[in-house]
Amino acid sequence: MKQDNSSLVEVVERRTFLKVLGSAGPAMAISACSPVPPEKIIPFVTPPEDVIPGVATWYASVCGECPAGCGTLVRTREGRAVKVEGNPEHPVNRGGLCVRGQSSLQGLYNPDRIPGPQRRRVTNAAAGQSVLETLPWDDAQQELIDRVQTLRDAGRGDRIVVITPPLTGTMAALTSAWVEALGGARWIRYEPFAYEAIRESNQQLFGRAEVPRYDFANADCLISFGADFLETFSSPVGYARDHAGQRRVRNGEKARFVQIEPRLSMTGASADEWHAVSPETEGLVAAAMVQTIIGEQRAQGVPLETQAQIAALVASTSPERVAATSGLSADTIRTLAREFSDPARGPGRSLAVGGGVGVSGTNATAAQSAVTLLNYVAGNIGSTVDFGAASTLDASTYADMRALGESMRSGAVELAVIYNVNPVFSMPGEADFAGALADVPFVISLSSLPDETTRHSDLLLPTHTPLESWGDSNPQRGVYGLLQPTMQPVFDTRHAGDLMIAVGRALGGNTTANFPRRGGFYRYLRDTWEAMQPVPEPVTDATDVEAETAAEEPDFESYWADALRRGGTTVAVAPVAVELRPGVFDTDLAGALSPPSPSSRSHVLVAYPSLHFFDGRGANRPWLQEIPEPLLKTTWGTGIEMTAETANAIGAEEGQLVAVESDHGQVDASVLINPHLANGVVAMAIGQGHTHFGRYADGRGVNPIALLSAEPETGSGGVQWTGTGVDLTARDLARPIPRLQRAFDQEGREMAQSVSLAALVAGDVHPEEAHFSLHEDHEHPVHRWGMSIDLDACNGCNACVAACYAENNVPVMGADRMRRGRTMSWLRIERFEESGAGGDGPDNRFLPMLCQHCDHAPCETVCPVFATYHTDEGLNAQVYNRCVGTRYCANNCPYKVRRFNWSLPEFEAPLNLQLNPDVTGRSDGVMEKCTFCVQRIQAGKETARDENRSVQDGDVTTACEQSCPAQAIVFGDLNDPGSRVSQLSNDARGYHALAEVNTRPAVTYLKKVTPDA
Amino acid sequence: MSFAKINDDVLRTLSAPGPMWYGGVLLALLAALVGLFAFLYQARTGLGVAGYEHPILWGIYITDFVFWVGIAHSGTLISAVLFLFRARWRTAVARAAEAMTVFAVMTAGLFPIIHIGRPWFFYWLIPYPNERQLWVNFRSPLVWDLFAISTYLTVSAMFLYLGLMPDIAAARDRIKDWRQPIYKVLALGWRGTSRQWQHHTALYAFFAALATPLVVSVHSVVSWDFAMAILPGWHSTIFAPYFVAGAIFSGIAMVITLLLPLRRIFKFERYITVHHFENLAKLMLTTSLIVGYAYLTEFFVAWYSGNPFEQGTFYDRMFGQYWGYSWMMFTCNVILPLLLFIKSFRTNLKALFVLSIFVNIGMWLERYVIIVTSLSHDFDPANWAGVYQPTWVEAAITIGSFGLFFTLFLLFIKNFPALSITEMKETMDRKAEADPAASWPEPV
Repeated sequence: MKQDNSSLVEVVERRTFLKVLGSAGPAMAISACSPVPPEKIIPFVTPPEDVIPGVATWYASVCGECPAGCGTLVRTREGRAVKVEGNPEHPVNRGGLCVRGQSSLQGLYNPDRIPGPQRRRVTNAAAGQSVLETLPWDDAQQELIDRVQTLRDAGRGDRIVVITPPLTGTMAALTSAWVEALGGARWIRYEPFAYEAIRESNQQLFGRAEVPRYDFANADCLISFGADFLETFSSPVGYARDHAGQRRVRNGEKARFVQIEPRLSMTGASADEWHAVSPETEGLVAAAMVQTIIGEQRAQGVPLETQAQIAALVASTSPERVAATSGLSADTIRTLAREFSDPARGPGRSLAVGGGVGVSGTNATAAQSAVTLLNYVAGNIGSTVDFGAASTLDASTYADMRALGESMRSGAVELAVIYNVNPVFSMPGEADFAGALADVPFVISLSSLPDETTRHSDLLLPTHTPLESWGDSNPQRGVYGLLQPTMQPVFDTRHAGDLMIAVGRALGGNTTANFPRRGGFYRYLRDTWEAMQPVPEPVTDATDVEAETAAEEPDFESYWADALRRGGTTVAVAPVAVELRPGVFDTDLAGALSPPSPSSRSHVLVAYPSLHFFDGRGANRPWLQEIPEPLLKTTWGTGIEMTAETANAIGAEEGQLVAVESDHGQVDASVLINPHLANGVVAMAIGQGHTHFGRYADGRGVNPIALLSAEPETGSGGVQWTGTGVDLTARDLARPIPRLQRAFDQEGREMAQSVSLAALVAGDVHPEEAHFSLHEDHEHPVHRWGMSIDLDACNGCNACVAACYAENNVPVMGADRMRRGRTMSWLRIERFEESGAGGDGPDNRFLPMLCQHCDHAPCETVCPVFATYHTDEGLNAQVYNRCVGTRYCANNCPYKVRRFNWSLPEFEAPLNLQLNPDVTGRSDGVMEKCTFCVQRIQAGKETARDENRSVQDGDVTTACEQSCPAQAIVFGDLNDPGSRVSQLSNDARGYHALAEVNTRPAVTYLKKVTPDA
Repeated sequence: MSFAKINDDVLRTLSAPGPMWYGGVLLALLAALVGLFAFLYQARTGLGVAGYEHPILWGIYITDFVFWVGIAHSGTLISAVLFLFRARWRTAVARAAEAMTVFAVMTAGLFPIIHIGRPWFFYWLIPYPNERQLWVNFRSPLVWDLFAISTYLTVSAMFLYLGLMPDIAAARDRIKDWRQPIYKVLALGWRGTSRQWQHHTALYAFFAALATPLVVSVHSVVSWDFAMAILPGWHSTIFAPYFVAGAIFSGIAMVITLLLPLRRIFKFERYITVHHFENLAKLMLTTSLIVGYAYLTEFFVAWYSGNPFEQGTFYDRMFGQYWGYSWMMFTCNVILPLLLFIKSFRTNLKALFVLSIFVNIGMWLERYVIIVTSLSHDFDPANWAGVYQPTWVEAAITIGSFGLFFTLFLLFIKNFPALSITEMKETMDRKAEADPAASWPEPV
C-alpha cells in the first residue's frame, strides 16, 4: 500500500478495502471526512459512535449541479457515498431530486477526473505540442502562489482574472476577499444560463436585477412563455413539486396550465394547452394579452392611470397584429388573456413565466418585460411573483465574458484562474474563448474534471467535487444550505477554498488577516456561520457546559451541529414590495418586442438547455447519457430536431446527417424527427458535442452553441440562444441516434389512460371490471406491497429512473447496445401522444413503467427453475443465482419490464465505488427487474423491529418514490387500509395497465385528468 | 431379385468410401466446428453477441430448435405410424427417415442449451434430487419440453436400433474390416433364429405402438412453449395440431431432400422408386393443406376476436416490417405445394427435390415469423422494436447445426445399412424377381 493516503482510488483494492474495513471500519467511517477533524461531523440519522459496517450513514448536504441549491441527503456505506437523495427538510426541494442531482455521484466517481496536480510542459513550441506532467501538491500550490505574487508585487494584480461559477455564501465572500488580496484582480462569475434577460428586465421595470421566486403553488392559471421550469430554469425540483401540488384536482377544479413556445418542451408536454409560436414572438403574445386585459378592463389591482400608461406601451401590439407574426390566432390570444385575468379568481392567483433560455433571442429583455407586465396587470407581482425570496444568482453577464475575451486578446490579462467553469465549451464558438485564452501567458485551472477549458491551462489544480467539500449555499434569500464532505476525496484533490486561503496567507501584506491561520476553509466556513448565527438565548444553566470547546462557544456548537444535521438553516424573509419605475413608460416596448427581420437563412434554430446535461456539464456521466431523453427518447447523442415536412423538403430522413450552417458557424447533426415544432423551426439541445470532456461525452451529439452569434443580446448582455437563422443541407451519411421508444401512438391499447375533469367530477369514471380467474389468489398474511403512480402528476422528468440506477446498481450498457434496445433500466418512462388536446400540441401521457408485481404474474408460471416466484409480501421476486436465462419470463411479461444481462455488466473504476452494497450484482446470462427496492423494504422492517413496533406507512419508500419531485409515486402496504397507497389504489381514477390480461398488478395507475373540452 | 441380391446391394454401400464421401464429411465437420467455435465464443462473451433486440428475447436459436424438432417428426411417422397401418411402401424410406429423426432430435436438443443465458447450468432444468432441495417448476412448458424431447430421443433411438439389429448382424457376417468387432457387439449375438425373430417382431410392433403417440405429443408440447404464453400471436389453442402438421410437413420435405441424392449415389433406384416419392409427396400435400388452413384460421380468429392486440399482431405480421418473411413463408408452405396436385409434377423427382428445399426454407421461416414478429409487436407499443438483425454468431451456429446433422447422417449411411435389409426381404414379391420395383404391393 502506498503511503499517500489521500487518494482512495489508487490505494484501495477491493481486498485491501475489506481488510481495512474489518480492522478499522468504524474509524474509517468516522475519518471519512478528512481533512477536517472527524469529530466535527454529525451525521443526519446516526451519531458517529454508532457507525458500523453494513449500516448506512447519512450526511445532509447541498447539490452542486446547478444554481438551484437543492438540499440532499447523501447515503454513505463504509466511507463511500452510494446514493444522493433529496432532503425533505430543505425548503428548496423538500425531498425530490432531479436526474442531474442523482447523477452527481458519477461526477464524484468519474473515471476521467483529474487525478492530481498537473503542469503543462511545452515539448515543441513551434508545433504547439505539450504534455501534462504530474507534480506534487506542494509544488503546484507554490507555483500558484509564485505566479500570483509576482504579478501582485509588481502592481499588476489587476491583470489577473478569476473566473468562477456564480458562487454564493461563504465561498463568494472568500473569493471576494481573495481577489482583493490578489491586488484587485477581476472576478467574473460565469454561468452559461445566467437569465440575464429576466434580471435586466426586472432591473428596468422595478429596479431589481433579480430572478424572482415564482409561486407555482398558488397559480390557478399558469401561462409559461417557453419557461422550462420543470427541466432547468432557476429551481426545477422545487417548482415541479409546487406545480404538481397545485395541479391536483381539488374541489372539482384543476389549475390551468398553458405553454407557449416554438418547440414542445418536456415542461410543455404536461400543459393543458400547448401553442406553437414563431421564435422570438412570445413577448408579443404577452404584450397582446396585456392589451386585451387592459382593453377589456380586466386588470386587477392596478391604478387606472398606470393602466393607461401600460396600455400606451402595448398600444401597437393588438392580438390581430401579433397573430400575423406569432402564428397564434387573435381569438386564442384573447381567450388566453381572459382566462389569465379571470376576475372570479381575484388578483394574484395567476402566473406568467418567461422562459429562462427559451425566451432569449434578440428581443429577450423586452419579451421578459412584456411577461412581467402581464403579471403586473393580473396583480401577480408580490403574490405569485415574489421578489422577497428571489434567487440570489449574481452572475456576470455573457457580455462581461465576451469583453473579457477581448481584453485577453489585447494582452491585458497576464494570469487567468478558472475555477470549475467551461466557457470554451459553453460560449458561442464565434466568440473563440479558446483563442482568447491562448493569448493569456499563464492559465491556471481549478477543476474536478478535465474539459475543453482545462485543455488550455498551464497548471491544473484538481478540486473536490461538492460531495467531498465543505461549503454552503444561499440559492435564494432566506435559504442557507450547508455542504459537508460525505467521504474522503476519491482522487488527490484539494478544496478550492483551502487553496485560496493558502495563497491568501502566503501572499502576506495587509490582507493576510482576512484568511484564517489554521483550519483552512472549514474554519473560514465555521467563522462565517458563527457570525451569521442568530443572537443566542441567555444560557440558564452554566453547569451543563462541559467540553472546552463548548465553553468557548456555548451555543454555536449546537447551532452548528443542528445546521449540519438538517443541511442548513432558513431565515424568515420579509416580502418585498416593488413598483414600476416611471421611466418604464418612456421606452418603446412594442418596438423592442418586434422580432428581427427574417434572415436570409431558411430555418430558425432554437437551442434549448437539456434536462440531462444542463449546459453540458452533465455530459460525461454515463447515467445521463444512457437514460433516454424524455420526449424523443434518444440516448447517447443529440441531433437536430425537425418536422417530417422539413426533413422531406431537404431530402433527409431520421438519422441522416445534415450540414447546419449559420452566419456564425457550421456543424453536422443527425436528423431527429420531432413533429412538435413551430413552422420553420429546427431545434437542438445544448450540452452535447464535447471534444475534450471524457470518455462518455467526447464525440457524442452536437453542440448548437457553435452556431450562435457571439454578439450578446443588446438589452441584457445574454447569449442569443434562439432565433439564429440556419441553412440545412442533407449529407450522404447516416449516423442514427438510438431511440428507446419509437412509437408514441397507443393504438387504442389504453396503456396510459385519462379521464376528463367533467367526467371525474360527475363520477363517470368507469371502474375496471373484476376479472374472473380460475387460479387461487396468493395469500399475503402480513404485508402486501403496492404502488400507485399518478399520471396526472408525472411530468416525465426521469428523476425516478436515475434514482433507480443509483439504488439498484443498474449497469450502463453504452450506445451500441442501445441500438438494440438493450437498456438495463428497471424503470422506464413511456410517453404516448393522444389527439384531442387544446392548442397545437398532443395530449401527452407519461407512463412510468416498472415491474407491476402482479398477483397472477405470467412470468412466474413459465420459469422452469423457479427463479422467479411470488413472495408472501406480494413481491415478484427474482433469484439471480437460480436463473439459467431462458428469457421465457420476459417473453411472457406483457409489460416487458424484465431486463436480460446480455453481457457482463461493467462499472469502470472508480464508478464501481458507487455500487450499493445492499443490492446483489448480476452476472451475464441472468434476468433482472424491479424489486420494489426490496432492500429498502428490509431496512424499513428492521427499523420498525428495532423500535419494537410494526411497519407504518411511510417507513418504506422506494428510490423512485423518494426522488419524484412531483410526488407522483406512492409506495406502501396494501394490507393496511389506512395507508396512502391503499387509499390511492381505490381512487376513482385508479386503473391497472393491461387489465384485460388479468395479471392483477400491485401497481395502480391514476388516470391523467384532461381539461374539459 | 433375391435375398442375396438385396444383401449385396445394401451392404455394398458399406464398402470403403470414396473421396466424395470424405469431402462431404469434412465439409460437414468443418461447419459443425465453426458452430462450436461460435457457441464457445458466445458462452464466454455473453448472449449479447447474438442479435437479440429488446423485446425480441427469443430468436434464431429457438427457430432452429423448433425447426429441427419438426424435421425429427417424419421418421417416427413413417416408421411407426405407417408400420402400424401396414403401409408397406414405407419400407424403402423408413431407415433413412429414422436415422434422420434421431440426428435431428440430437441437433435440436442442443439449441435450448445454446439459447439460455447460462448454458453451463442447463441441467438445472432436470428434476434430480439434490442437497439444496431445489426442484423444477412443472408448470413451465420448458420442463415439459425437456421430458418430451428426451423421451422422443430415447424411443426413436431405440426404435432405430431395434430395426437395425438384424441388418447389423448381416453386416457383421459380411464386413471383415475394423468395424466387424463393433458390429459384433451391436448385433447382440443375433443369429436369426426363429425365436429371435419372434421376439424381434413382437418388440418392433410394441415400440411402434409406443412411438406413435409421441408423434403427436412431442410437437404438441413444443408448440405449448408458445401457446401457453400470453403473447398475442402465440397464445392460441390451435397451436398443437398446427405444429404437429407443420412438423410432419417439414419432416417429409427433409426426407425427400435427403433421399433423392442418397438414392442416386447408392444406386438404390431399384428399391426407392418414383412410387415412394409420390407417396411422400401426397403426404406432404396433405400436411401442407393442414398448415395452410391453420394459417388462415389464425388470421380469421384474430379478426373475429375483436381483440386489438391479436389484430395488431397479425396485421403487423403480414404488413409490418417483417412482411417479406411472412409472405415468403406463405408462398413456400402453402402456395408452391399446391403444385403437388399435378401428378406429373409430383412424379418429377427433380421438381420434387426443388420443392422440398422450398418447403424446408418455408418451415424454418414459419418458426422465425411466429417467434420474432409476435415478440417484436407485443402488448405495449412503447416497446416495439426495429427489425431483428441476426449476427454472424447466430448464422454460424445455425450452419453448425446443419454441419452436425450431416456429419452424423453421413457417418451413419456409410457404416450402417441405409435400407432395411430385413424389411426389404419381408415385403418383396418373390415371384416377380425380374422387376421388383413394379411388384411392390400398393400402399394401404
